[in-house]
Amino acid sequence: MIKKAQITIVMLGLVCLTIIVPQARTYAQAKNDTLKEAVTTLRDRVTGMEERLATAENNLEKLTKIKLSGYIQAQWQRFENPAVYPANYISLRRVRFKVQYQPVEGVVFVLQPDFVPSGFTLKDAYVELHDPWLKTFSLWAGQFNRPNYEVEYSSSKREVPERSAVIRALYPGERAIGAKLEVTPPSVPLRFQFAVFNGNDHRVIKDVNGDDINPKNKDFDNYKDLMGRLTYNFKLGNFGGLDVGLNGYYGWMKSNSTTVLNSDYTLFKNVTVGKSIDRHWVGGEMQLYMDILGGMAIKAEYMMGINAYPGAVGSFSVANPVQTTLANDTLMMTYLTTNTQQINPAICRNFMGGYVYLIKNIGKRNQFALRWDFYDPNTKLKGDQIGVVKYENGTSDIQTTTTIDGSNPVVVLNETTKNIVANSLKSGTSDVTYHTLTFAWNYFFTDNLRIQVAYEIPFNEKVGVDASGNSNLVKKYTVNDQTVDNDYSRVFPQNVFTLRLQAKF
Amino acid sequence: MKKSRKLIGILAVLAIAVAGVAFAPAPKKVTVKGSDTMVILSQKWAEVFMKSHPDIIIQVTGGGSGTGISALINGATDICNASRPMKKSEIEKLKERYNTLGVEIPCAKDGITVYINKKNPINELSIQQLSDIFSGKVTNWKQVGGSDSPIKLYGRENSSGTYVFFQEEVVKGDYAPSCQTLPGTAAVVNAVIKDMNGIGYGGAAYSEGVKICKVKKDANSSAYEANSENIKKGLYPISRYLYMYTRNRPSGEIKEFIDWTLGPEGQKMVTEVGYFPVR
Repeated sequence: MIKKAQITIVMLGLVCLTIIVPQARTYAQAKNDTLKEAVTTLRDRVTGMEERLATAENNLEKLTKIKLSGYIQAQWQRFENPAVYPANYISLRRVRFKVQYQPVEGVVFVLQPDFVPSGFTLKDAYVELHDPWLKTFSLWAGQFNRPNYEVEYSSSKREVPERSAVIRALYPGERAIGAKLEVTPPSVPLRFQFAVFNGNDHRVIKDVNGDDINPKNKDFDNYKDLMGRLTYNFKLGNFGGLDVGLNGYYGWMKSNSTTVLNSDYTLFKNVTVGKSIDRHWVGGEMQLYMDILGGMAIKAEYMMGINAYPGAVGSFSVANPVQTTLANDTLMMTYLTTNTQQINPAICRNFMGGYVYLIKNIGKRNQFALRWDFYDPNTKLKGDQIGVVKYENGTSDIQTTTTIDGSNPVVVLNETTKNIVANSLKSGTSDVTYHTLTFAWNYFFTDNLRIQVAYEIPFNEKVGVDASGNSNLVKKYTVNDQTVDNDYSRVFPQNVFTLRLQAKF
Repeated sequence: MKKSRKLIGILAVLAIAVAGVAFAPAPKKVTVKGSDTMVILSQKWAEVFMKSHPDIIIQVTGGGSGTGISALINGATDICNASRPMKKSEIEKLKERYNTLGVEIPCAKDGITVYINKKNPINELSIQQLSDIFSGKVTNWKQVGGSDSPIKLYGRENSSGTYVFFQEEVVKGDYAPSCQTLPGTAAVVNAVIKDMNGIGYGGAAYSEGVKICKVKKDANSSAYEANSENIKKGLYPISRYLYMYTRNRPSGEIKEFIDWTLGPEGQKMVTEVGYFPVR
């Protein structure tokens, strides 16, 4: 009985096993398949994510080739010159946005517009090509800063509000269109720049009517100007460093007049319009950096040479009926025709100018700056000679013709022609020397935010007086219906106070 | 009466405690930022220095030499760690903002080590071979005497001084686009440990778990390992100084810290961390 029962249990067990084992196998198989499926799904997801990451990295890589920077300068200024109206105002001096794009190593595109409310202007637009072998040479083409220390030193870094007078006069707008070769050997602290420019960029060239005839985005004449700058940096151990440099400008511009004067307003030569007149100057610069209780620097530059102003010629005729009478059967008509040939002579002025900065950093946030700069636009003319007519060469030629028409009625035509050559140039404000002292305090809230307080004190050269005791040079302005005289026989107030806030990124 | 005396007593104790806290000299803080290669060394320096100078807090962060130099220029750090010398353009920025050229303090020497996986049969490579590998001209280990398998490149981000130094001294051109950039030398080492075909570079102090590849100047020269002796003798071809930079001549607690790192104790730690002393 027991055996039967045992056999039955064993049999039942076997039956159960035959049912359970395949089911368990199927279950395990199913579980294995699900796991495999899950792993495959996960693997696919990871692969997908890797692909997306690679795409994102690739896109990000493209973005790293673009560099954006810029700055805004908002300022309040107060002018002590009574001829300036409004005498105080708030303005946006700079609203710059610079984009640099480096598609491949060694090629850089730069665009920098200025968005001041008075009008959009394109400041920088150039391409830089760097040699990939010696890493020494670079070629620039487009519109960029002329090679000069103060020109290349951005106003976002400059310690005082404006560049020196000589730099503003020689390099108006700072930039010029042209090409530049730059040599910067990696192992030698030397930099050589050699550039060729149109040469007349941002200059105001007036015709006889006083209109600016200098075209934008192309040259005024066929002459191209050459410019070079060589600098070398000396390290003075832990004391600091000394940078020294030489620069030169070798250019020409066309005379727009038939008469060219010397710097002292005497006749230099008579030429045909289009002949070249010289623009040559040389300069020396130094920047001394000293680690004396924090940073301190003395920066200086001196320039001298000849700058040309092209003059203008023009002619115009005016015909006026002077008298008309009718007596008996005779009509008598008198006409006066005046032909004026206006000649504003060109002039080559000898000039000199320069500046000296003293800058002291106080801690991380404060900086004091003092600058003295001077610009003598005409070294051949002393103060007492300014405003005195030194060159005048006018001629006049009068011809009268009479024509009689004998028909009835008789017409008598008297025609008088007057030919005038007005050829004179008097020295004036363009010849006055200026010395300017500028004090400035800069406070850096952060590296991006700076406040600048500055006071500029210009001193004009005093001109002479005539026999009656009247000044040889007075500029008259009308301010609110009142006449304001800027009398250059004395030093008149021209000081400017500037409070500037600068944000840059 | 007793109560008011007690109250006065408590108030007096409180006043003394508050005054004590208020007038206690605040610890002086020195921030150090820059080279990831130097982070371990710099942190150890800071740790030991602060024990003996409890009134000075040294705060060390990495980010790469370029990041450190930028922080020095924009005034965000007192000391910058850099595993490469400052570039001309960076010195110009310091001049423009602070009217100084910065002060360069060489504080240790390092041999840039080339890491390969322990299973890689390669033992040595020349500078030219390394240049070809990292510029992408050579893409298979077979081309430099190894097995037939693709080379996987691991390197640093371009803010790293090691990246710049290796590029200028070894690659002498652009890195191959396939070179995977990783944030820190430790990450490079980890990648090479995991990847049999991997090759990377970094400071000598990180070379744990990988094979150090010997480097030879050219095909005919002997190969040398980046070790103290070879670096001192100038035999190892890719060695460099590690620097600290300050804006001005260091003074106060900054000078105290720098002088200490250049002293016997600081220089001893240079060796302990895996770099080579300058004094």
